[in-house]
Amino acid sequence: MMPGIAILDWLSEPLRYGFMQRGLLASVLVGVVCAVIGCYVVLRGMAFLGDAMAHAILPGVAVAYLWGANLLLGAAVAAVAVALLIGAVTRQGRVKEDTAIGILFAGALSLGVALISSTGSYAVDLSHILFGNVLGVARGDLLLIGVLGTVVIGTIALLYKELLLVSFDPVLAATLRLPVERLRILILLLLAVTIVASLPAVGVGLVAAMLVTPPATASLLTRRLPTMMVISAALGAVSGFSGLYLSYYLNVASGAAVVLVATGIFGAVYLLHPRSGWLRSRA
Amino acid sequence: MSPTEVATDIGPAHLAVEGLSLRYGPQAAPALDDLSFDVPEGMRVAVVGPNGAGKSTLFKAMVGLLRPQEGRVLVHGLPFGHDKDCVAYVPQREEVDWGFPVSVLDVVLMGRYARLGWLRRPGRADRAVALACLAELGIDALAQRPIGDLSGGQQQRVFLARALVQEPHILLLDEPFAGVDVTSQELVLGLLDALRARRVTVIVATHDLQLAAERFDQVLLLNRRLLAYGPPAEVFRAELVKAAFGHQALVLDGVVLVDHTRPPAPHSGAVVVDGGAGHPASARPPGTVADTEPIRGGGGA
Repeated sequence: MMPGIAILDWLSEPLRYGFMQRGLLASVLVGVVCAVIGCYVVLRGMAFLGDAMAHAILPGVAVAYLWGANLLLGAAVAAVAVALLIGAVTRQGRVKEDTAIGILFAGALSLGVALISSTGSYAVDLSHILFGNVLGVARGDLLLIGVLGTVVIGTIALLYKELLLVSFDPVLAATLRLPVERLRILILLLLAVTIVASLPAVGVGLVAAMLVTPPATASLLTRRLPTMMVISAALGAVSGFSGLYLSYYLNVASGAAVVLVATGIFGAVYLLHPRSGWLRSRA
Repeated sequence: MSPTEVATDIGPAHLAVEGLSLRYGPQAAPALDDLSFDVPEGMRVAVVGPNGAGKSTLFKAMVGLLRPQEGRVLVHGLPFGHDKDCVAYVPQREEVDWGFPVSVLDVVLMGRYARLGWLRRPGRADRAVALACLAELGIDALAQRPIGDLSGGQQQRVFLARALVQEPHILLLDEPFAGVDVTSQELVLGLLDALRARRVTVIVATHDLQLAAERFDQVLLLNRRLLAYGPPAEVFRAELVKAAFGHQALVLDGVVLVDHTRPPAPHSGAVVVDGGAGHPASARPPGTVADTEPIRGGGGA
């Protein structure tokens, strides 16, 4: 058999299944959305915050589960509440930011685990929430991911210069009378929305990797923010796509496979880098 | 009509500070204590004082970054905020992350954001203004470079170019000469001369007392309270400088020397003027000739 045809077969075989088509679309979408907002997460030093926020929405998911409501709706409510709470606690400055996040994060995670463990099917459901179940993504989930992802990327595109300024130099932003505090909260809310959209695909445990790893890789390859966002999005898409194929053929958990691909790309770029410094880019 | 156009009609800015008091907490000692002064349009003022004198605090209060408990700042006779675009503030360079993935031109264009308003992107005209300001500071060739490539002096010039594209009537510069090369310093001083011709009011916080004495119209001597405000010859008198700098000041043969490397808290001990640990700055009252060449201080590093 011709090698080209073999590759085509290899690629098309999983697509015979509807769950694989939806899963592939979901993981690529999530990869792109996480990678774009992740540029701000990396540049603003919010990696810990993103991870904490992901875990802190667990109680919302648990309550929705117990009430038989939509899990993503519960996650969305909890994510917005957590985003506003983190915004409020870190603004006051009486507790150090990472300490405040650590407290909220561990407390909320424990509450979520406690709530879920009170039900019978603790292990299976928790693992889906923690690590995602991209092959179980329903049509409705896919639609929700698409809508939320469009909102996030659309907002980042529309407010590009405001978000850039408030991230690079909040002092100038304030002297130019931009609403610095509201923009900061907006970034937290966009992050919360992204995490909710990512839950079905990679779960709360792995979303932080999708937020941080592709942008970190992109930051090694360029020194312009728009280029960084494009490269990061491409890396997110490639990770989502090839991770799912790996998961299909090697029979490993899909969320883990996606993150492992992203991590592998980062490792390769980091090691093959000419200097420990940056590659030149005039883009 | 944009606020800028309104401000242009009013003409060069007049700045007045009235009874300004600011403390960082209810229990804290005042960082600024009842300051009142008046800066006529087109004037060039140096704000000098020891570390912790409140120079940066004063600037931040003047641009509305800090809210004073008492007093007010008037621009064109109006409370601050009515002239949105007419005061530009250049903070100390350390306040931003120079590893951020933006180019020199990107940073300078940020100065145009206020007049662009929400959603609009900088256009060709904004780019032209930005490039002209970069050229004025001699770094237009660096426009496309990542900001991480710049030297300290070049970073300072980028910040200044960004302030210039705001087309300010009042320009506030916080320590623009700290840790910059001589070329950058001379360029900045040349720019200040050009701004004087355009009747832009310039207020500069500096550790460099010699520069303050030689290149500025007025000196504002600050140590939480306003100790003196007037022409350099009147302000740089031994008793006033000693009142501001305490034990950091030393008077030798009519020459006032200030050692910025000494901690500002008062304590007893011999005054080391140039003990190798650091270089003292000196201010020479005009008309007085020093026996030795005063050494310019490099404080604030």
